[in-house]
Amino acid sequence: MIDHHKIAVEKVQKQQDKENSSKFLKAILLDSFFVFYSILVVQRAIIYNFILELKEIPFSWGEIGIIAVISAVVGTAWAFTKTSLSCKLFGIAKEGKITDLTVEIFGWFLFNITFISGWMITKISIIDLFSEEGLRGAQRIFGALFTPQFSIFDEAFFALIETIYIALIATLVSIPITLILSFLSARNLMNDNPLSILTYNVLRVILNFVRSIEPLIWAIIFSVWIGIGPFAGMMALLIHTIASNAKLYSEAIESIEAGPVEAIQATGANKIQVIWYAVIPQIVLPFLSFTIYRWDINVRMATIIGLVGGGGIGTMLIQYQGLAKWHEVGLIVIMIAIVVWLMDYISAKIRAAIY
Amino acid sequence: MFLKVEDLHKVYPSGTHALKGVSFEVKEGEFLVVIGLSGSGKSTLLRCINRLHDPTTGKITFLDKDVTHVKGEELRNLRKSIGMVFQQFNLIKRRSVILNVLSGNLASMSTFNSVSENFSEKDLEDAYKCLDIVGISEKANVRADALSGGQQQRVAIARSLMQKPKLLLADEPVASLDPATSNSIMQYFEKINKELGTTVICNLHFLSLVRRYATRVIALKAGEIIYEGFPEEIDENWFKTIYGEEAEEVEIR
Repeated sequence: MIDHHKIAVEKVQKQQDKENSSKFLKAILLDSFFVFYSILVVQRAIIYNFILELKEIPFSWGEIGIIAVISAVVGTAWAFTKTSLSCKLFGIAKEGKITDLTVEIFGWFLFNITFISGWMITKISIIDLFSEEGLRGAQRIFGALFTPQFSIFDEAFFALIETIYIALIATLVSIPITLILSFLSARNLMNDNPLSILTYNVLRVILNFVRSIEPLIWAIIFSVWIGIGPFAGMMALLIHTIASNAKLYSEAIESIEAGPVEAIQATGANKIQVIWYAVIPQIVLPFLSFTIYRWDINVRMATIIGLVGGGGIGTMLIQYQGLAKWHEVGLIVIMIAIVVWLMDYISAKIRAAIY
Repeated sequence: MFLKVEDLHKVYPSGTHALKGVSFEVKEGEFLVVIGLSGSGKSTLLRCINRLHDPTTGKITFLDKDVTHVKGEELRNLRKSIGMVFQQFNLIKRRSVILNVLSGNLASMSTFNSVSENFSEKDLEDAYKCLDIVGISEKANVRADALSGGQQQRVAIARSLMQKPKLLLADEPVASLDPATSNSIMQYFEKINKELGTTVICNLHFLSLVRRYATRVIALKAGEIIYEGFPEEIDENWFKTIYGEEAEEVEIR
């Protein structure tokens, strides 16, 4: 007779062992990286730049290579002691005082060297902020902004309407595409066979990639692709809206109550029926809310996108800024502020009303 | 053979060994009650029968057919012939009562008709009949989340009746209801069992309910069957074995 109990337990045991060894491998890599990072930051930013005050910081791949090898050795050794920062992060560290102490000390060390080198890279200077010349510049631009030139009001008004419509169309067109993509990238709907798991993962990677490129960059791409104008701006917003909302929507799908889904599954319904009857009723409101909020965000982004040729008020703003006509710029900035504030208010009211 | 479970094991990915070799048989028309503490494996057992959970090893035979590993169309047909009622009712909250009942019939509808919510006259008639059985047809057009707990559970029962199930699984159907409502819900299960001839497997906590409604009892403890017999045979000693030495029987009427 086969011992089912033993088979079942062994199945799970094997899986856990596999998971732990992969965690350990990741811990070794991360520890090595931590050591590598620390040596580089301390050597370059702190010693060369701050203590020795070298103008030209020496750089050679050979040196970096040596540091990398040293870090790999130190990091691996450190991970093998099971008291390292990464072991703690992946939950495979030994419990005890030594672990707690190393994690605390090294954690603070990493934070501090990062902060110090960041401060130096940013070239923070109180002197520049409050120099006489700087203050005069500030006075000039603020003065102009608060005495706007109203002769271009009509032109600016129509450009603003263009901007609002660019944002609206980008939001509306995104809805059906986002809907489909969000179902395909929701983990709880896409975990039943290898094909759906593959789709889920591929889609997640693509969406993350698209989302990580800012709408401003997309606008540059589309202004080259289809020419400067409102269409390029709309496309830039559309692409980014789809990628960001697909993530928000799919997270809403992932956080629905499992009970109704289970109940509809138990009636023998197929997948599409389960989605229609148990998933969609639970996500309609969050979806509406995200979409309205996104329109609001898109109006703001549409003004920025205009700066690089996406049409609307932004294009007008960059033209007057190029001519240093600060009073006209002042009017445009004030009009943008009013519209953005209005959109923000309206979308908040609508979102509050539907819940 | 109506339902036969043989040496069923379930190990969850987290490592929890929920069922450790459970075997039993159910005859048609029985009212089988499964008792045991929370975490004894009762819910897992029911969910393995209609395959909401996949058993790790073992065999389940339903109506002379091995259903342990059926997939796709066959799995949906299996689920269609087994109704299920849950502790948390699991209705679609924002939709009407009648639509919730109609959703029990999805397996018999085409995908297009169900998505366009194009229900036939007969389906509607059946849905009202199911609501009549649990005495709540006057609430047909009310939103499900506007009902009380007991009313929601009656709608959930009507939804499962809509499937015309041969077997009805009930996972602690009265655990979140007050004693009086619990009793009335149990009476509906009894009615379905006796009048419609539907076999019922029900998880319960209260021994007084078990004695009153069960025709046979199985007790689970830590994933194993420790008692199988008739409700009237459960005495003080068995009670303490099942629920622990500290336990004291509470009467619910």
